[in-house]
Amino acid sequence: MQITGQLALTVVMGLFLVVIAAWLAQIEDWRSYTPIGSGGATGESGYVSKEKPAGISRWLTTVDHKDIGLLYGAYGVIAFVVGGLMIMLMRIELLDPEMTLLSNSFYNSLLTSHGITMLFLFGTPIIAAFANYLVPLLIGADDMAFPRINAIAFWLLPPGALLIWAGFFPLGDIVPAQTAWTLYTPLSAGVGGGSQANAGVDLMILGLHLTGVSATMGSINFIATILTERGEKVTWANLDIFSWTILTQSGLILFAFPLLGSALIMLLLDRNLGTTFFAIEAGGTMLWQHLFWFFGHPEVYILVLPPMGIVSYVLPRFSGRRLFGFKFVVYSTLAIGVLSYGVWAHHMFATGMDPRLRASFMAVSLAIAIPSAVKTFNWITTMWNGRVRLTTPMLFCVGFISNFILGGVTGVFLASIPVDLVLHDTYYVVGHFHYIVMGAIAFAGFAGLYYWFPMFTGRMYQRRLGKIHFWTWMIGSNITFFAMIVLGYGGMPRRYATYLPQFATFHQVATLGAVLMFIGGLVWTYNFVVSWLEGPKVQDGDPWNLREDGMYTNEWQWFENKQETALADGGDEEEAVTDGGTTEAEAEAEAED
Amino acid sequence: MAKTVFDKEMFLDLVVNFIPLFILLFFIVGYTVYNPFGIDTTFRSLQYALIVTPFIMLTILTYLSAKAIGTSERDAPVYLPGGATVDGAEPVEEHEE
Amino acid sequence: MDEQPGLSDQYRRASPWPLFVALGIPIAEVGILFDVFAVAVAGLLLFCGSVTGMLRESGYAETPWRPLGAFAILLFVVGGTLAFTDVNLVTRGYAIITAGGLLAAAGIGGELFVPKREAV
Repeated sequence: MQITGQLALTVVMGLFLVVIAAWLAQIEDWRSYTPIGSGGATGESGYVSKEKPAGISRWLTTVDHKDIGLLYGAYGVIAFVVGGLMIMLMRIELLDPEMTLLSNSFYNSLLTSHGITMLFLFGTPIIAAFANYLVPLLIGADDMAFPRINAIAFWLLPPGALLIWAGFFPLGDIVPAQTAWTLYTPLSAGVGGGSQANAGVDLMILGLHLTGVSATMGSINFIATILTERGEKVTWANLDIFSWTILTQSGLILFAFPLLGSALIMLLLDRNLGTTFFAIEAGGTMLWQHLFWFFGHPEVYILVLPPMGIVSYVLPRFSGRRLFGFKFVVYSTLAIGVLSYGVWAHHMFATGMDPRLRASFMAVSLAIAIPSAVKTFNWITTMWNGRVRLTTPMLFCVGFISNFILGGVTGVFLASIPVDLVLHDTYYVVGHFHYIVMGAIAFAGFAGLYYWFPMFTGRMYQRRLGKIHFWTWMIGSNITFFAMIVLGYGGMPRRYATYLPQFATFHQVATLGAVLMFIGGLVWTYNFVVSWLEGPKVQDGDPWNLREDGMYTNEWQWFENKQETALADGGDEEEAVTDGGTTEAEAEAEAED
Repeated sequence: MAKTVFDKEMFLDLVVNFIPLFILLFFIVGYTVYNPFGIDTTFRSLQYALIVTPFIMLTILTYLSAKAIGTSERDAPVYLPGGATVDGAEPVEEHEE
Repeated sequence: MDEQPGLSDQYRRASPWPLFVALGIPIAEVGILFDVFAVAVAGLLLFCGSVTGMLRESGYAETPWRPLGAFAILLFVVGGTLAFTDVNLVTRGYAIITAGGLLAAAGIGGELFVPKREAV
């Protein structure tokens, strides 16, 4: 029986390889490795252009940075929807302490996957989406420095997601991991009861490892691209702020993610092959926490720096002024990059580490608040006395600043040891980092999606729906996360599927906010899908009227050149009413101001 | 254009990183003057290493980036950030805000 | 790259290999970690084969046979270490050695029996 199973598996894997080989052999036809390329059996009709094959093959084989950027974007958005649905289930479970919609263990699984999905499968990839699409255009490069590595980095992500979610699929006795995204040992080393020794945890760790490899490959690519592929006129003195943040972020990834990968492999070896890196009598309970947070805190800045870059980039376009103190923002970005490596143990203040070390981490944590705060003032000053146009991307930028201040200020309190000891592991922490991750990072991501939507799709979204999306999210996120902060002050601990009756009101308030965001999410999905398919075509290369203010930039110039070279394809059926354009409604709105 | 890239304007821009450096320095001095946790050589040296290392690294990175930016400003025309390859882009005036 | 400059490099915006490099890594990882012989071998073959294809495509190697041989040697070393030393992961070691053997056979066979194409 055992032998038959092995044999069957061998046959299946063999067939799998044969199918791949056959497909490759077929696809060889359109690229015969000869520069002349005379052997193209499929002929001209088989090409989108002379650069790419048509149909699904185009997406499977592309090494074009723009296509890969779109793939990253689609991937990140799908992961965001999955993570969002997960949290909706959890928030419904938390409507009432007696609720039994989910079992406690399933709640723990969702909690784990929600965190990992949002951070690793949405956050990092959606940033990579913008970076892949825009950085080469912004710095005047033809493509990324290593296009094929770029494609590999993307294609590692879908298998990574499948492995991370493996426990949720009906696969025999594999159950989803319940370790929380921090994977603290000894729990995650498979010690103790429950399902911690289940293969679902191993698969999740493997998936995490893959996403880490992917991020590292991407970062090497971005560093090489920005350092070596800049156009002649693009110098350090006029490199745009988004590329600066991507460069810094890539540097952070380069040092942080390989460490995560190594720690994960040590954990896998502990779980499966009998090593004792994290055993109590060997490495101890603290080793994992130090390794994890040495990665984990830079990860916070890996996620927040590029969104700050997007805001710094988009906000001035709708303020009619240049970014105030541009170099302040650049230098403070670099400062955050360095200092983020000196603060990791502020996640561990309550672990009983030596008070001297704790004091040092507090010092650096307080120092890192300055560069972040400086940016806030820069953004506010940029809008000050500017000609502010409240388009949807601008609204998301302003929402970013507001939420970032709330999330940041609550964070400064947590950096102080005595305060942290009281609030550690409460909903206060949850509220704090959701203000940053959802209220700020995701908001900036959506600012970017709306701002560059005309470029990505060639069409315009529906502006009214965009604004509904913003307001549901702005109000919803503040209801939810402010309720969490209040819950934290009351002493509500993190990560539980139920709670004492006294917390019921604010949990219900938090769920209300989540429902509001869910509705906003539906509006957004509808808007983007419908607008992509049948939105009015963008007619010129300046849908935001940036030229009026002298704020036109490289990537729109590329877009304009593309628009002009494209054949006229009957695009005059409907007038593109752009969010930034002065239509009647816009003129009215301005008159009201 | 000054001979060295580190002129007054540059130092004004760098103030933003001097502040965190000052905070770190403040704690370095502070923990030296006031030490409530007793003597323990290992943890004491780790304590200083944890603040001094970021201090040094930040100083180095700030210097290198300032030099890179200052040198390009001196040697090449400066366009708007992100606007260098726009058709008909004109260099911006020196130190205009 | 140097051997194939110009048009082909400039206009090619497609490559079939990255997808399979990326697929090979997780398949090999799962196979080796959970000690599933066939999966481990298939994953390693897919990974090494695709990397070889990419080296060939980008002109770093003229024929695929020598990179295949190099991968085979690498796998022999790793597999041998797992199977025959104190690490003592015998079945996993054999899986890696098997993959190496198949690659070596392909590499040697190709080098000996496939007629050389005209220089590109």
